[in-house]
Amino acid sequence: MEKTFGRVSRRTALKGVAGAVAAMAAPSVITKAWAATPIKVGVISPLTGAWTVYGKAHYSGFELAVGEINKAGGVLGRPIEIVVGDSKTEPRIVVEQANRLIRQERVDFLAGTFSSAERNAAGPVVAQSGKLLLYPTWYEGQSQEFYPGVCNKGIFMFGPEPSQQVWPHVDYIMKKHGKRFFLIGSDYAWPRETNKMFKEKFKELGGEVVGEVYIPFNTPQYESVLRDIRNAKAEVVFHSLTGSDTVNFRRQMHAAGMNKDIALWTVDDEEVVTSGLGPEVSAGTYVSFDYFMTIDQPNNKAFLEKFRAKYGPDALVNTVGVGMYNAAHMLALAIAKAGATDTAKVRDALGGLTFEQAPQGPVRMRADDHQAVLPSYLMQVRNNWTGVNDMFQQVQALPSVDPVPAKCKLPL
Amino acid sequence: MGSFAGVLIDATLITLVLALAATGLAVVFGLIGVVNMGHGAFLTLGAYFTWAGIQAGLPFLIAVVLSALGVGLIGLILELVLIRHFYDRPFETLLLTWGMFLVVTELIKIVFGTDFRNVPSPLPGTLSMGDIQIPAYRLAVSLFTIVLLFGLAGLLFHTSVGLRVRALVQQQESAALLGLNVERLYRQVFTLGAALAGLAGALISPMLSIDPYIGNVFLVRSFFVVTLGGLGQILGGTVVGSFIIGGSETLFALFSSQVVAQTIVFALAIVLLRFRPTGLLGSDRR
Repeated sequence: MEKTFGRVSRRTALKGVAGAVAAMAAPSVITKAWAATPIKVGVISPLTGAWTVYGKAHYSGFELAVGEINKAGGVLGRPIEIVVGDSKTEPRIVVEQANRLIRQERVDFLAGTFSSAERNAAGPVVAQSGKLLLYPTWYEGQSQEFYPGVCNKGIFMFGPEPSQQVWPHVDYIMKKHGKRFFLIGSDYAWPRETNKMFKEKFKELGGEVVGEVYIPFNTPQYESVLRDIRNAKAEVVFHSLTGSDTVNFRRQMHAAGMNKDIALWTVDDEEVVTSGLGPEVSAGTYVSFDYFMTIDQPNNKAFLEKFRAKYGPDALVNTVGVGMYNAAHMLALAIAKAGATDTAKVRDALGGLTFEQAPQGPVRMRADDHQAVLPSYLMQVRNNWTGVNDMFQQVQALPSVDPVPAKCKLPL
Repeated sequence: MGSFAGVLIDATLITLVLALAATGLAVVFGLIGVVNMGHGAFLTLGAYFTWAGIQAGLPFLIAVVLSALGVGLIGLILELVLIRHFYDRPFETLLLTWGMFLVVTELIKIVFGTDFRNVPSPLPGTLSMGDIQIPAYRLAVSLFTIVLLFGLAGLLFHTSVGLRVRALVQQQESAALLGLNVERLYRQVFTLGAALAGLAGALISPMLSIDPYIGNVFLVRSFFVVTLGGLGQILGGTVVGSFIIGGSETLFALFSSQVVAQTIVFALAIVLLRFRPTGLLGSDRR
């Protein structure tokens, strides 16, 4: 299609005439045919590997939104086309996929990556190529030392950071359960940085960290950590383990009978992981995020109807799926506003944009640090829940939390 | 102070659960020398079969037995179709079984999906000893592991089947010349190893998250256990290896962080293997 021919044969000329006639006869048909040059978005999701469990919601959020956009006529008369890249949950593969999507598939934008390690791996590629990356996951916040994974003018954050996800609820948990917190997390950037942010607020409120441990990935047995938690006389476990480790730790904490007198607050275990834990293990624990399937929001009802119609009545979505959904819609809005797909124009249009139909209520993208302004919910897991519909009891809800300014050289 | 007893109990439980996970590999790798990278997949299958059994309304123990038999059957089929052609080629076996692992993992994803599954614990409570609380189910599984290991050792050293296996391990050619059906024996041992891995996966399923990669957590550790304990040392080797790879981590974690403890453990394993290449309890006959 891109090839040009130096010589126009008679046959080609005739075709051209026929085409022109057809164009006059049926303009709508031709518009569609012309519009077939799609806007390509490369989506990098963890479809295999350790974080496969999150991958499904991650990818389907974006897919659902793109379906809606295309059904409504696309953007600037052009449809959006997704090109998938499987991250295999490995930062190394993320780099390969990002390069492939940009150089071979010639995508116009990138969306996705899941963990902070994956996003940080994509950062240099994004910076070099001058493309945008739309990042959907709850994460540790931006700080200049992790550039270009964060504080990168090419990356937009659609998930909450700790001053949104964690800070609003520290006071409540301390008043209800006590001041002695034990911090446990997986051994990588997200838990360590999240805990750093957590402690800022926690110390200000007079809390005491009685232990802080980081666990290597794929640790099957937790006896020694559980003993440390008990010996430290912890009143609350602040939990940022991920993947199967979170399930393994929490099952063993429950089996050791420690759920009875120690509260647990997780900033990781959304609908998918809590489903995997089952009702006995998860009962009574706290979870905080910007979105839950059960939040009472008119937008959310409409969103879930569409989601379930497409993926089945039992399909699960979560904060990341919704982050991807918002990312796709806000990208389309930004392209429409910019009237073009080139990076600089879309970047300027996306900053300051508000998406009114976001499932968690209107979401605004801050222009100076590319951080979404989001709600924050603290939920407690109900006893004997049977599914996502009765899993969480709402404890605290803040409709819109402005995060602290990113610790970057601002504006990005 | 109850904490010393606590550490001891923790170390014992960790050792025995790891020993259970490694037993199938101790049989397959330790006795007939198949470098079975598919061991992790067998564990995973055992866990998923148990979950499926529970979903179908079976009592836990029945589901466990059926899982072990089911994985044993899959092991038998794989032996018949693939493994038996590769007994004299260890390196190809490694690649072959790694391929098996990849295929089985993907099949699990297709059949069971990628969501976390869970099997409720059949013994949810804890037992208190002074101020130490022991999870009842873990204790039961640990006790069962002791029985299982002694049973296997008994099978190997006090039955005619065991005699034949040992003959095979020590002198394959002479054993064949003396009329031993080598091919059939290999098949039986491999099937037993697969069934044991399935059994381990089934019994471990209530403690861990069931996802397509549950077996991976134990794969590398199991290889360390078997190599470190000594090939062919089913009882002593598995327990000693499991203690060093699993239980000792608890002790190191007393003085350092978890990350450092795991690093020390694996570094220690490498150092030990440098000076005892046949494993701590392995004889020097090879």
